[in-house]
Amino acid sequence: MSEVLLQKGAKLPDSPLSRFKRRTGLVLAVLALGLCIGLWLTPYQPAQADFLNRLAPPEPAHWFGTDHLGRDIGTRLLYGAFWSLGLALVVSLAGLIAGTLVGLLAARSGSFPDALLMRVTDSFFAFPELIAAVAFAGLFGPSTVNLVVALSLVSWMKFARLARSLGLTIGERDFVIQARLNGLTDWLILWRHILPNVLPSLLVLWTSSWSRTILAVSGLSFLGFGVQPPTAEWGAMLLDGKPYMQTAPHIMIFPGLAVLVSVLAINLAGDRLRDVLAQTR
Amino acid sequence: MPPNDPVFQLEGLTVRAGDKVLLQDVSCDIQQGGMLCVIGESGAGKSTLLKAVQGFLPATCRRLVFTPSGTDITGAVPTHPGLPQTRWVMQDPLAALNPRLTLGASIQESLYRQNLTVQERKSAVLAALEDVQLGSEFYSRFPGQVSLGQAQRACLARALIARPKLIFFDEPLSALDALVQKKIARQMEVLRRKTQTAYLVVTHDLGFAAAYADKVLVLRMGQVEAYQPCDEFIAAPASPYAENLIEAARSLGTLSHASEAA
Amino acid sequence: MKYFLSRLPGLAFVLLGISLITFTLSYFSPGDRAEAIAHARYPEEIAFPPELLQAIRAEFHLEEPFWLQYLYWFGNVLRGDFGLSYASQTSVWDIFIGNLGETVTLSLTSLGLGLAVAFLLASLAVRHPGTWLDRAAVMLSSVGAAMPSYWLGLLLILGFAVHLGWFPSYGTGTPAHLVLPALTLAFWVMASQTRLLRSFMLEAANQPFVETLRLRGISESEIFFRHVLRHAMVPAVTMIAIDFASLLEGAIIVELTFARSGLGSLLAGSVLSRDLPMVMFLVMFFAVAYVVINSLAEALQAASDPATRTQEQRV
Repeated sequence: MSEVLLQKGAKLPDSPLSRFKRRTGLVLAVLALGLCIGLWLTPYQPAQADFLNRLAPPEPAHWFGTDHLGRDIGTRLLYGAFWSLGLALVVSLAGLIAGTLVGLLAARSGSFPDALLMRVTDSFFAFPELIAAVAFAGLFGPSTVNLVVALSLVSWMKFARLARSLGLTIGERDFVIQARLNGLTDWLILWRHILPNVLPSLLVLWTSSWSRTILAVSGLSFLGFGVQPPTAEWGAMLLDGKPYMQTAPHIMIFPGLAVLVSVLAINLAGDRLRDVLAQTR
Repeated sequence: MPPNDPVFQLEGLTVRAGDKVLLQDVSCDIQQGGMLCVIGESGAGKSTLLKAVQGFLPATCRRLVFTPSGTDITGAVPTHPGLPQTRWVMQDPLAALNPRLTLGASIQESLYRQNLTVQERKSAVLAALEDVQLGSEFYSRFPGQVSLGQAQRACLARALIARPKLIFFDEPLSALDALVQKKIARQMEVLRRKTQTAYLVVTHDLGFAAAYADKVLVLRMGQVEAYQPCDEFIAAPASPYAENLIEAARSLGTLSHASEAA
Repeated sequence: MKYFLSRLPGLAFVLLGISLITFTLSYFSPGDRAEAIAHARYPEEIAFPPELLQAIRAEFHLEEPFWLQYLYWFGNVLRGDFGLSYASQTSVWDIFIGNLGETVTLSLTSLGLGLAVAFLLASLAVRHPGTWLDRAAVMLSSVGAAMPSYWLGLLLILGFAVHLGWFPSYGTGTPAHLVLPALTLAFWVMASQTRLLRSFMLEAANQPFVETLRLRGISESEIFFRHVLRHAMVPAVTMIAIDFASLLEGAIIVELTFARSGLGSLLAGSVLSRDLPMVMFLVMFFAVAYVVINSLAEALQAASDPATRTQEQRV
């Protein structure tokens, strides 16, 4: 019966995954557009001080108020998105790529290299992210570069573990056996068969890694171990505004809110992606 | 079908796992364009036979001759998986197709070893799809968008496109609905006659074997219970166990039903 | 037990790896270690004669190759000798013990508080699925997971210390100093644990045996408290143990936000003053604590669920 269900030329039902991709793409495009329009419309520069108008509360000329140097907080928040979200994006992408490579390498190499690689992964895994980053960034000097290096060093292990276990199970699936019988090389099998099937789950993990890293980047910057003021990173803005929070609470409220909303949005998108993938499987 | 030289000959295949004997001294052969059905209950060693012959399991055998490639191995079965010029159709078509590749892309992989242009490949795939009665629109569909029967047809196309001399089938119909089973069984038979490809079909469906097979090999707990031409097997089974099998199939009506279909 | 023993070699390797990573970090960190040691020994001096620096280099094997230095250091660590802090010339271990209490107090208070609320929320959510209570619990835990804890700390200070004046804002000392930091960290614990407990309880409530109990006429509350809860406890306990590292991380952020003394402030302070022995010890401590607690949690899980014994390690 099901044989005749799909008629010639019939429109195929929209899969939840493609719907998710379309919607996420739309949201991202709108956000990016909004960011660009904001940067284009704003009359201020992020480092442009105005000592006559310090600590101004939100007002028509400065929607989010000004900070202790009279800089426009709204403009700084827009620029800060590139730092806070962008640095975290770089770190989590580095973790995704490095971890996937290590994990798949472990999965397709024999039992001894596999065990060795995984114990190395475990060793790195033992270092709590923030502690390792504080130690590294502190010893090598707090700076943006050192922050990114430190967080990248401790961001790949989860991906390696997941990629390895998925790689092992998918490597035994029937379609991989078929590909091997057809004479495809190991690399081609990895590229065509294993990677595309591992990637969705890794992407779910990646969204959570990205949002965790946003918290880490802004948190470490707030504590003085990351991006240094006067760069308009959200955590650094909080650090900058902390002494003035009694008289001008808006200085610290908006950057924190920006972190909260971005992390929440990414987490929700990740949850949705996971649900969608669970449906299609 | 004129009897000619066997395309595939197996003598004295034995598979052990530790102390356990999974297969004991199995011998069989298949003519060009012929069909051998391997029958037995689950755990009888049917799938073990397939895997051992393909080199996925360590096994020993006295002789394995596969004529077209000139493979003549005495002693051990090859450790490298896959005999050249053979293909394998699996039980669950959805597991055998990469969910992230279109049917066309999956089928093309069967031609990987042949040096063809992109255009030649594509037209070969379209022709193979037509052979299994799938329209060209299936070329760009994903496994999740087709029915089980269509997916199994695509697997059949993937096997046939390489023009192999022998196709191994591992319970090719058991994942499908009864109606679809019948259609695909006929399709398999039509294509076998057209292409003169030999089939080795592992199945527990006696009706299917009775309808289409030239020869039947009955396994039970790793031992050969019967190895006979099909008509002889139905009329005078070689062992009490095989007789029981036929009795059971007759009383369930599967045997007569399938025989009519042929 | 057998399971635990089978993992010992891997565990030993991981501990070795931790020590190696820690040593590599300090070995390649910039700055002249001999000078740092000299500064620590003779705090009044400003410049040091080269002979003195040379003597210190010899004493601490600073001119040996990487591997030898590592072995000297690792040997000392194995003997329980973690060295002297550059900053105070006292044993690293003593300083650590002195600061441990504050962090443990903060962590355990927050864990208790957060778990209690999480438990309540999750139970309510599972017993009234699909209602506004359920949705509110889920939303609260989503917000909590996305909440930057340092920012929440600042908000609490602004509200309860600056405006209301109920609690002190910064520092350590009285129990009142503990309230705001504990609330901050407890909010994070509540968020992550509500989510987990809810899903574990839902899973337990959807087991076939619950339906059987219901058919036998056992009351909903008895089913929930006697059976569902018990079923959900084992995975919950393991998850809490596995999340222990995050708790420590959270404690460190909160300590620094509230300028509390404790391991977090100690780590930050020694990092900034390049007190290498202290930093190495703390980093190692956190890593080893993580490994040990994780292994115990895994062993606990294995003991309670035979099915995992042969399975791959969970991701």
